[in-house]
Amino acid sequence: MREARAPAAWFTCLGLPLVEAEAIDLADYLRGIGIAANTPVVLVDSWQAAEATLKNPQWDQSWWQAEEAERARLLKACGGSDAALKTLTQATDEVTEALHGAAAVAAARSGVADPYLVRVAAGAALQAVHQAALAEQAGEADHPFIKKRGLYASGHWLLGTYTGKLGQEFLIF
Amino acid sequence: MSTLQQVKDVAALKEMPEEYQTAVRKIVRSHAINELHGAQVFDEPAIAFAPNPYAKWLTCRVAMEEYHHHVRFKKLGDEMGLPETETTPQKDGKRPLSIFEYPLKTWAEFCTIKLVADYAEILQVEDLLHCTFHPLRNIARLTMPEEKFHAQFGKDFCGELIQTPEGKAEVQQALDHYFPFLPSFFGGSKSKNNEIYLKWGLKQRSNDEMRNDYMVRCTELVESLGLRMPVVA
Repeated sequence: MREARAPAAWFTCLGLPLVEAEAIDLADYLRGIGIAANTPVVLVDSWQAAEATLKNPQWDQSWWQAEEAERARLLKACGGSDAALKTLTQATDEVTEALHGAAAVAAARSGVADPYLVRVAAGAALQAVHQAALAEQAGEADHPFIKKRGLYASGHWLLGTYTGKLGQEFLIF
Repeated sequence: MSTLQQVKDVAALKEMPEEYQTAVRKIVRSHAINELHGAQVFDEPAIAFAPNPYAKWLTCRVAMEEYHHHVRFKKLGDEMGLPETETTPQKDGKRPLSIFEYPLKTWAEFCTIKLVADYAEILQVEDLLHCTFHPLRNIARLTMPEEKFHAQFGKDFCGELIQTPEGKAEVQQALDHYFPFLPSFFGGSKSKNNEIYLKWGLKQRSNDEMRNDYMVRCTELVESLGLRMPVVA
């Protein structure tokens, strides 16, 4: 779990545009989980807008399902044993408090003190950490889940695909 | 002024009579196993049932909070020298609480479990807040705010679901299904263990006192949502 040892900047760049290297990682991640290369990437600029997006009943479940299918494949590749799962959960647990704290600080800096939304943000990052650890355990160092965790560790929050003004959009906070 | 001896750490625990040590081991073991069972049987599967990314990621976080409660109790068990097989559910081990034997099927069921089962957990943890074994007392104090949040989560999400007749029927159905398992969560009326916990100040109230308090508080909670309390035999 690299981010547990090396400094990570969880939730520090919310609402800020991606730099070129991050945009490349995002494109790799999207391609890796089967999202069309020409899908527009739209920046969300506030916690309130992020919350409204995540509660949208019209959300595109194919993105979530693609990630879940990939997670299932990786679990199988790791043998799917109780021991493998236990290692993963322990690894995720080690960064849990740090992620929650970082989400709470970022929200507070924007005047947001909603304990639900802070947990939603922390939960999203936890999922990214868990998925990346799984890819590492499966020996897939270039996996899209590793790129995804990298984007979280550099301060962003990937919200997923939704139907917007430009059709199918990928939203990032 | 209480004359009960306060046990400040694991080293001091080892100086206590065997009855006290055994009682502490039973409490730690029970919490470690049930917290992990809860996370595995209810919280983790609920992520798939959650209706949108907001609810899914919130549930991810809540699942990890429940898992971390297990970690806290297990870590204390490790320090006390309890073997891992006693603080982690075993496939061939002691049967878990009966509520854990019914796999989760819907989001409404999960929200209802948070509403009433986590409320029962609050009472259990509340009873340890003044425990004479301080490491256990402190874990209870650390865990309490999160347990309260989980019960509030249940209340808020059930509150959303009952806004439609279909949602209200689903929550009522889940309540009818799961609630009858909960009163037994507090243990038997003539429990020898409970007698020993009270004698040493590990717990504050008898099983029946807690159960009665739970029934009163839970009835108030359920009826405040316009739901009907199931009749428990």
